[in-house]
Amino acid sequence: MTSKRTRQQITTGISRRDLMRLSALGLAGYSQSGWLKALAEGTANDPKRKRACILLWMTGGPSQMDTFDLKPAHKNGGPIKPIETAVPGVKISEHLPKLAKMMQHVVPVRSMNTKEGDHTRATYLLRTGYLPQGPIHYPTLGSLLSNELGSEKNELPNFVSIAPYRFLSPAAYQPGFLGPRHAPLVVGGPGVNVVRPGSDNYTQALQVKNLGLPGGVDLQQADDRLALLNDLEEDFGTSRPGVIESSHRNSYEAAVRMMRSESVKAFTLDEEPDKLRDSYGRNQFGQGCLLARRLVERGVPFVEISLNGVQGSNSFAWDTHRNNFESIEKLSEVLDPAWATLLEDLKTRGMLDSTLVVWMGEFGRTPTINRNKGRDHFPGAWTTVLSGGGIKGGQSYGETSADGMTVKDNPVKVPDLLATVSRALGIDPTKQNISNVGRPIRITDTEAKPIEEILV
Amino acid sequence: MKSNSVRRLASACLCFGLLLGTALVRPVAASEPVADDVQKLADAIDKLIADQWKENSVSPAAPADDSEFFRRVSLDVTGKIPPAADAMDFLESLSPDKRRQVVDRLLEDPGYITHFTTFWRNVMMPEVNADFQVRFLVPSFDSWLRKQLTENTQYDALVKEILTTPLDSGQNNRRNPYQRLGEASPLAFFQAKQIAPENLASATSRIFLGIRIECAQCHDHPFDTWKQEHFWSLAAFYGGIERQGNQGIFGRVRELSDRRELNIPDTETVVQAGYLDGTEPQWRFRVGARTTLAGWVTSPENPYFARTAVNRMWGHFFGVGIVDPVDDFTAGNPPSHPELLDLLAKEFAVHNFDLKFLIRAITASRTYQLTSRKTDERTDDPQLFARMAVKGLSGEQIYDSVAQATGSYRPYNARNPFSFGGNDPRGEFLETFANNTDATTARQTTILQALAMMNGQLVANATNLSQSRSLAAVAEFPGLTTAERIENLYFLTLSRKPRPEEIERLVKYVERGGEKSDPKKSLGDVFWALLNSSEFMFNH
Repeated sequence: MTSKRTRQQITTGISRRDLMRLSALGLAGYSQSGWLKALAEGTANDPKRKRACILLWMTGGPSQMDTFDLKPAHKNGGPIKPIETAVPGVKISEHLPKLAKMMQHVVPVRSMNTKEGDHTRATYLLRTGYLPQGPIHYPTLGSLLSNELGSEKNELPNFVSIAPYRFLSPAAYQPGFLGPRHAPLVVGGPGVNVVRPGSDNYTQALQVKNLGLPGGVDLQQADDRLALLNDLEEDFGTSRPGVIESSHRNSYEAAVRMMRSESVKAFTLDEEPDKLRDSYGRNQFGQGCLLARRLVERGVPFVEISLNGVQGSNSFAWDTHRNNFESIEKLSEVLDPAWATLLEDLKTRGMLDSTLVVWMGEFGRTPTINRNKGRDHFPGAWTTVLSGGGIKGGQSYGETSADGMTVKDNPVKVPDLLATVSRALGIDPTKQNISNVGRPIRITDTEAKPIEEILV
Repeated sequence: MKSNSVRRLASACLCFGLLLGTALVRPVAASEPVADDVQKLADAIDKLIADQWKENSVSPAAPADDSEFFRRVSLDVTGKIPPAADAMDFLESLSPDKRRQVVDRLLEDPGYITHFTTFWRNVMMPEVNADFQVRFLVPSFDSWLRKQLTENTQYDALVKEILTTPLDSGQNNRRNPYQRLGEASPLAFFQAKQIAPENLASATSRIFLGIRIECAQCHDHPFDTWKQEHFWSLAAFYGGIERQGNQGIFGRVRELSDRRELNIPDTETVVQAGYLDGTEPQWRFRVGARTTLAGWVTSPENPYFARTAVNRMWGHFFGVGIVDPVDDFTAGNPPSHPELLDLLAKEFAVHNFDLKFLIRAITASRTYQLTSRKTDERTDDPQLFARMAVKGLSGEQIYDSVAQATGSYRPYNARNPFSFGGNDPRGEFLETFANNTDATTARQTTILQALAMMNGQLVANATNLSQSRSLAAVAEFPGLTTAERIENLYFLTLSRKPRPEEIERLVKYVERGGEKSDPKKSLGDVFWALLNSSEFMFNH
């Protein structure tokens, strides 16, 4: 008995019996639970606390010409005007006024130069750093980075994905060869139909599915059930130990731990003052950004939020083949307060230096305006944005030609961008993981060059 | 008396069998004429495997008992656990040949068609998981596969039909495939590969020959003998294919079927079609390049074709291939049992590439029928096959097994390619359980999967007395003891009898009395725990 217990503790740090101790104590006993308390203390205010990343994913490919790389002097420029920002010389769209005031923490990278103009493949490229290739399942960015930054002992999962719009490129949202242990906890329901672009039903969308006990089952009955399950697991784990059995146990423990943890209150947005909630914006994206802050605060190292559309927009999110300018204005009205408030909020709480906020989509849009007043897919010269911690804010990087058609200097490829993101988070981008085909694969491609000029 | 009442309840549970579309009483199929060959091959497998045990001083695990075997082979062949009554029947049957007989029966079960349609589609169209456009093609490819599996088409003929499918829009009068979802056709294979010669070359090579030649697309293979020219010579067999217009993979295609060369993109180099082994194709009058290639790929003389197929099947049944990963035959990745691989390949070819023959022989081997219980550290090396591996289940297997156990089956619409969208219960479940890890022996459970099983609707309904047919039958059928009710729950989920200490433990739980105690509700708790257990969630 003793020796078996020791073996289990060596392998997982938490014995199978602990699952039971945890459940038997229930919610009331939470604060007395020894190891759980220790974990909670470990994540908060740890001076060695690792950094975190929040990815603002712009589904559909946002127009650089109408956000961060305006060309008012050229006919490609369109009607949207640039405004001054907190940083002299760096101008952005008039529809991002709040963000303009935070520009000292922001770096637009205006010289993105990629090759994929197809939603499926480009989304995969930007979110994994690689093009789909044969049998290799490349992990999505959140899985890659949370693998580096996270801890198995967190009360909450290391990677939370808010309202992902996976329809166009499902593989770009998966943990790939890192395995399901690194899969995101998805908030907003599993189906693309559940979170519709423009839906204002964000309260429900931001809940974790199946987190609550089924109707009619109280805590006592839940504990009884877990006790029965525990006996079955003891038997199976003893007769057939291995990675499969231990992953089953680990994930059940993590799920129960989350169900009963204090940290799960991260999802209770009602705790926030109304004024702050208003300031983020009363929509799914705005409240998603607030949720991201609450998760990072509780030790979650990677959170992504997708902006999939706004009400009244005639296209899916940033895929503005028609009526580009009206759509961009509406999207900006959602984006601007959410992002600016997020930076402000992180700063107030002393978390800005350790939290990198990345803004990107799968590609940019054509500088030329089509006859539907729209802009089409354009990977040749476009913009992504880094903000918050780990970078030298208050500058822009790279430049495009006067017509916006080409990159004038310092072209940035996808691996370069992701290597920069890694470095800003204190991660070595040349680190290798073993892939599903047995070949080691670097976090970013061998040819990646981090943008040293904008790194702290 | 006891076994009588259990039997009566089993019949009651069997009513669900009707709902599931399975026959109530299935006659045991007569032995196949090739029976002796099946046993001969099974014995040969066992001998070659045992030779290596001896060499490595490993004593294998004990044979699996009837319940362990029946559950395992049902999941491997039909993709779901057996109905409770079948599991009871199997256990009680006194026929000395019952394991062979039950495999014959499972191979005629509709579950075999469904399960292996998913299996072969995943093998041949892995793009489905990555590209939503390709999902439109699933119904068409699946119905074609179902037809082949129903007819038990020879594997070589099946592959030949894929590779030689007419592509030219003028020839096959192809309209917009959106309008003909579900029409049985292997055309989707080409569309999933973007109808591009280089993609088709790497797919042909990897899927049917076990050679990952795609690395040689850009440079000579780093670990092997494959050169860039091998890759492009293979691609040149597809050199006559040309996509028309701007509708991508759904557009028209033109094909000059006798074109035997290819211009390497972005270069001046023109490459002639040639086989991977360097031999010259024997061109025949009016026989197209793809037809010539298909003949070479599927030839019984091709050293890779049969080996790749048998290795894949071996990998499916054992969780680990003789060459593993199963599609990576390289000098640096030798087979664990080269003679066995050769023998299986030879016998497969001799028996007309009959997939069912292969399945019969593998499942008849003592090696397949070993327990997965760990009795000895030395049985840990998975490629010694000294005990059965514990394998993760696919989302389909879990859902269909939960449905089998709970009697809550809702048939899914095989023609709806978007069932992943979460708009039907099975689709939602499959999305939660989607798994991108190839190796079944490395499957890991996610937190969301745990939450879905613990608290989700499917299991909540199954374990709720007023919603669950299975549970209500078990809890309310008159005249049963608590032990018998628990035994029924075990057969419904784990396909076995509970052990005496389990009975003792659980009877105590159900009958514990007290103010709030409700034995029926407690049976629901037992059912819940069984459905959430590793023993239920994995194949072992």
